[in-house]
Amino acid sequence: MKKHLKIAACLFRLNLASALEYRSSFLTQAFGMALSNSSFIFFWWIAFQQLGGYIAGYSFQDVLFIWATTSSAFGLANVLFANAANVTKLIVSGELDAYLLQPCNVLVNVLCARTSLSAYGDLAYGFILMGLAYHDTAAAWLWFFVGVLLGSLLFSAVTLTAHTLSFYWGDASMIGQLTTEFVINFSIYPDKIYGPAVRALMYSLLPIGLAIHVPLRLFRAFSPLTALAALGASLLYCVLAGVFFSRGLRRYESGNIMATRL
Amino acid sequence: MKAIETKDLGKTYRARVKAEGLAASFRALVRPQWISVDAVRGISLNVEQGEMLAFIGPNGAGKSTFIKMLCGILYPTAGELSVLGLSPARERRKLAMRIGTVFGQKSQLWLHLPAVDSFTLLAAIYEIDNAECRRRVAELTELFGLGEFLHTPVRKLSLGQRIRCEVAASLLHEPELLFLDEPTIGLDVVVKQAIRELIARRNREHGTTVFLTSHDPADIEQLCRRAVVIDHGGIVLDASVERLKSDYLGKKLIDVRFGTPQRIPALPGVTVSSESGGQKATLTVDTAVRPIGDVMERLSMTGNVLDITINNPPMEDIIAAIFQKEAVR
Repeated sequence: MKKHLKIAACLFRLNLASALEYRSSFLTQAFGMALSNSSFIFFWWIAFQQLGGYIAGYSFQDVLFIWATTSSAFGLANVLFANAANVTKLIVSGELDAYLLQPCNVLVNVLCARTSLSAYGDLAYGFILMGLAYHDTAAAWLWFFVGVLLGSLLFSAVTLTAHTLSFYWGDASMIGQLTTEFVINFSIYPDKIYGPAVRALMYSLLPIGLAIHVPLRLFRAFSPLTALAALGASLLYCVLAGVFFSRGLRRYESGNIMATRL
Repeated sequence: MKAIETKDLGKTYRARVKAEGLAASFRALVRPQWISVDAVRGISLNVEQGEMLAFIGPNGAGKSTFIKMLCGILYPTAGELSVLGLSPARERRKLAMRIGTVFGQKSQLWLHLPAVDSFTLLAAIYEIDNAECRRRVAELTELFGLGEFLHTPVRKLSLGQRIRCEVAASLLHEPELLFLDEPTIGLDVVVKQAIRELIARRNREHGTTVFLTSHDPADIEQLCRRAVVIDHGGIVLDASVERLKSDYLGKKLIDVRFGTPQRIPALPGVTVSSESGGQKATLTVDTAVRPIGDVMERLSMTGNVLDITINNPPMEDIIAAIFQKEAVR
């Protein structure tokens, strides 16, 4: 465990150093992402101005909370584990070889090996929103942090699970991409706008609701049972995603493509 | 103790087949057809510790698949396998601590960062403490002459400099067994020679076992004492490099360019393979019949030699000769 934390920390430092090799690209992407997110919030503000106090049971303040949590959770997931979205490519092109040749957990090594520049913008944007909307509410910040940590794990686990299908089905990049879009959409709108079937999905197979909407409810009205259940279910999902990947690894067929580490 | 032991090792893939054309693509969508491909077929091979073995064969012969099973990347579908007394499939992480790999096609260095940063990561992965890492990096820097470019981003290095860093990276954890898959591919002759000398020195001083695949006959001649040739997933020849040299590597190619058109004198053991206007010629010399120095002397006596190079025949030609000869036996 200690060894893998050290490896993850070392990979984080290398990723950041690698990103900073292209300073202007890094800053453009990070600021660009924060700006893009702001436009969505502007539309939400207009919607609340037109429609009144609540939309599907959520106030404008609530929407700011789920947006902040989603943005920072997605950002943290992609700052630390951006390679989850790259797993299909690694499998299909045989690039997992490099990770299998090293004496450490393949999953830790793979997930931490890449960062996303724009994700730094997402991560920062959530904090800016929280600072504007809840600057003096300690409980909101507590549940925001819980949501960001759990959300980053779940975003990565869901993406990893979708891409792990490549071990079984061949190229699952489209499924991976769609899954990411689904979980983002499930996160940034009030969950009651969706029908029961979709809601069941967002709390089971793609359980991002546990990290975004549940913390909002716990902030409004704390329930230890709900908190424990959400935490337990989220961690169980992450463990199962890891097991699914490890099982799939046995079906890996490698390849001879030219490859380099970026 | 043996470094590598395999018995009837096999690997079979399931591959999808499809006839030509769009209609066949739709049919394959509904009813896909699969065939079994035997990439490695019953290879039994022992390699002693400290040995330097050349593992050669044409493209698609099964070399990479075999090496990947030895490294624990691929699971065998048949036979038994032990590397340094460990099962690669079951004990991949333990084995990885004791082996080093250089795959010419795949880099373990970070492209945008200096090699020294990749060494730091590798030290964390191989559980080497900071003081020991500094000592080993200093040793490898001196041995491989990395000092001038150790702190330069890898993307800015020449291919030769990058390969030197790759080999150094693979030795950082002082492996007992080194897998080298085309380590000199794309390098110029001077750098190739430097890499060979470094590998040979590592074997001499540390007793590192070397398992080498290469399409360059000079790598095999200069580094290895034993060669195993495979094709279609099976061993075709397992012999000493001395025998390989006398039987198959005895021919050299001389490319010569003259200032004015020349007529090449007929010499026993020398075949003029091609000639363009008398100013350029390629000679194939059977060194068992006529020493190469003798031919060079005769060529220089014709006068007006502008350029001359000596090459080994391509590995594909050598392998083809091996197949022909072994089939006769």
